[in-house]
Amino acid sequence: MALLRLENITKRFGGLVAVDDVSLEIQEGELIAIVGPNGAGKTTLFNVISGVFLPEEGKVFFEDKDITRLPAYKRAPLGLGRTFQIPRPFSSASVRENVAIGAMFGTLADKVSVDESLEIADHYIDLVGLQDHRNKAAGPLTPVEKKLMEIARALAMKPKLLLMDEAMAGMNPKDIDEMVQFLLRLKEEEKMSIIAMVEHIMRAVVGLAERVMVMHQGAKLVDASTTEALTDPKVIEVYLGHSEGD
Amino acid sequence: MKVNPAKYYPLIPVYAIYLIMFLIGKNMTGMWELMAMLAFYCALGQAFNIFLGMTGYVDFGYVAFMGVGTYGMALAITRLVHFKGLGIGLLIIGLCLAMVMSTLLALAVGAVALRLRGAYFAIATIGVNEGFRYLIEGAKIWNGSEGIIFFAQMNEAFGREMASALSTFWADVLVLIIAALAAFVTLHYMRSKIGYALTALREDEDAAKVMGINVTKFKIIAFITSAIFAGLLGAAAWAIKTPYVFPPEVFEIHYTIEAIIIVLLGGAGTLLGPVVGGLIYGLSKYYLAIILPGFQLLIFAPIIIIIIVLFPEGTVGMLKNRVRGTTLERYIV
Ligand SMILES: Nc1ncnc2c1ncn2[C@@H]1O[C@H](COP(=O)(O)OP(=O)(O)O)[C@@H](O)[C@H]1O
Ligand SMILES: [Mg+2]
Repeated sequence: MALLRLENITKRFGGLVAVDDVSLEIQEGELIAIVGPNGAGKTTLFNVISGVFLPEEGKVFFEDKDITRLPAYKRAPLGLGRTFQIPRPFSSASVRENVAIGAMFGTLADKVSVDESLEIADHYIDLVGLQDHRNKAAGPLTPVEKKLMEIARALAMKPKLLLMDEAMAGMNPKDIDEMVQFLLRLKEEEKMSIIAMVEHIMRAVVGLAERVMVMHQGAKLVDASTTEALTDPKVIEVYLGHSEGD
Repeated sequence: MKVNPAKYYPLIPVYAIYLIMFLIGKNMTGMWELMAMLAFYCALGQAFNIFLGMTGYVDFGYVAFMGVGTYGMALAITRLVHFKGLGIGLLIIGLCLAMVMSTLLALAVGAVALRLRGAYFAIATIGVNEGFRYLIEGAKIWNGSEGIIFFAQMNEAFGREMASALSTFWADVLVLIIAALAAFVTLHYMRSKIGYALTALREDEDAAKVMGINVTKFKIIAFITSAIFAGLLGAAAWAIKTPYVFPPEVFEIHYTIEAIIIVLLGGAGTLLGPVVGGLIYGLSKYYLAIILPGFQLLIFAPIIIIIIVLFPEGTVGMLKNRVRGTTLERYIV
């Protein structure tokens, strides 16, 4: 049984086809990267998976349950956690409260008290290295700190599948390497499946994922092992075309 | 379930202020009326804050809940006055009816309007108050535009002396108790999952949904809670205190505006804010009316705007940031 299965997902905004007939399967414990230039439709695909947008066509299955039309708030308790490309902290709340909210309403929703959630929050805050910011408001954090805070918040949800939207954007190479190691450890220790989405940090993709899906103009271009995907002529063309346009 | 008393420390300053207000009013001649007015504004702020402050949604129809609460008490007293032996129980029935009626109205309004976002919600609620008033007047519900006058029934039910004490003293005490209860519920929410959910949806509703929060459910909880306290406040401060009710008086939008100002002055979503906001608002209104009768609004409006511009998080919001990391942090919430 696939953990997540997308069947022919199409999402349009007016005349624009943001996601074009994309199918994808993620197995339990798998870590895959979705890459593609800016505007390829990666974030939109995440929004369809997490229930922010409903697709015009296609179906979303989570553990074989059809969740295509399920409201977003009912997906988190099933085991879907995510971070946002542009971080969305609950600004006035402290880092600790932000992360605790993840624990309170994620897969543990019915099982943990507020105090237990705060303890879980402390654990993940330490794990991402934000202990010095624990009691600070999340609003004024730096963009990288906000990303880490969101990762901690998503992890506190104890998801089965973690969706990370550009988790490494804005990081320097050393931080990227650390993040890659961190994600690999997570996958092992927490038995979590991860979809990491990156625009063009190939350094991250190579170290991180065994499997890569490349998107271009809303459509799936390639879905293959990392080495295969990154040497595929179609992919090279997309990226060369992209860097010329930069 | 274990209860950690330290969680309730922030009630200490709130209750201390309410106690001081009571003692000043009781022991200093001529001060009771002023204290009663301040208590009303504090209670109004404390009740509205549970919705406006905790969710960030503006309900321009808020006063309608006070209006139906006033009717609840008036109806209980006029319809049940002939059952002798109810005594003070009659007031309790009135308060319960006020709560039921404001809950029902909140459910009806909330079920529709709370599906709307931010500004759309605010616009939708503007009509609720006026609409409800015209419904009562036009359909001649509860005596229509003639209202309900129940001095005589108060005297009949409680005796002349007690009826007078109820209106000049006990109604105001009840208002203070309602303010104190609203503060307790506010803190209880803040310390429970409800408060965390409300913070999340206030800051970013879409992110909150993705985090697993049923935002509509939590908005409705805050809306109903806030409405119930408004209903109680109407029953106490308007029905028991002045035993009559006319639609144009109780569905008067300027009370909603006052409630918004108090919450913003004090600090939306804080526990102590409505108290501070209520005091600043009530005292300025009172003394400006004495010093500059007729011109108070002219002076008042700029003062309010200046405070809100200088302290966008309200006075208590600013104070909270100041005491972050000190021992005072545990008391100012
Ligand atoms: N909410 C939206 N409304 C209209 N167009 C959108 C919206 N979100 C994304 N798009 C468009 O959809 C396309 C894919 O965007 P996106 O999914 O953000 O790509 P990526 O994350 O791969 O950079 C872009 O052309 C973008 O402008
Ligand atoms: Mg994107």
